[in-house]
Amino acid sequence: MRRRPLVAPTPDLAAVVRVRLFAALRERAGWGERLIPLGASLTNAADLWRQLALDDSPAAGVGELPPSIRVAINQAFAAPDTPLRPGDEVAFLPPISGG
Amino acid sequence: MPTPNPGQPIVVQLLEAPFQPLELLAAWQGNLGPAAPAAESHFIGRVRPTTASGEPLEALELEHYPGMSEAQLRAIAEACAARHGVGAVLVAHRVGRIGPGEAIVLVAVQADRRGPAQRCVQELLEDLKHHAPFWKQEWSGGSGTWVTGNTPL
Repeated sequence: MRRRPLVAPTPDLAAVVRVRLFAALRERAGWGERLIPLGASLTNAADLWRQLALDDSPAAGVGELPPSIRVAINQAFAAPDTPLRPGDEVAFLPPISGG
Repeated sequence: MPTPNPGQPIVVQLLEAPFQPLELLAAWQGNLGPAAPAAESHFIGRVRPTTASGEPLEALELEHYPGMSEAQLRAIAEACAARHGVGAVLVAHRVGRIGPGEAIVLVAVQADRRGPAQRCVQELLEDLKHHAPFWKQEWSGGSGTWVTGNTPL
């Protein structure tokens, strides 16, 4: 099992993160996995959420990452403002319903 | 605190096919050796035949995050085992499509006393329901609905 994403080690592709969506989020967005380049205005998961327009809420604060969505970086829970590094795997996790 | 079993004190399994909880339990007990501790507590969860809104359920489909789901289950089990000072823990969880009545989760804990064994089972189950990445989709009448929360304790 690969715990780290596969990102080409060439300089122009190096500053990329792999974004993953699950369950209802994945269905709503219509995709489950994408490579997204990091940039000056895209440095953490909260930025990704806004720039990928993952929110569907018409309410106030539209576009912001809602507290019900948890973030995982490289398969461990992380704060949405954790700085991302090239090659990171960032996942947005809708409310969990296991067991 | 009981001595942890030298074999595998924490066993975590994600299962893609139906399983018989009592057979799995027997195999786990067998692997732990003949000197069973004084207390052992178990929980078996099965799929309800109705949806959250009371419709007949065709199947429950369980999505997970390969890699993270296993790691989280293990971390939750290890933390719970340490908090309660128990000996051995088994957590088995189905993924994929699961029919009504089929087992979805099995938790077993061995300990020196009934209190830690029972408390660890209950706490582990609640922790995994809230902190292990699994998502249930209920299939009924040919359409799927994502479950947004957990059933009451």
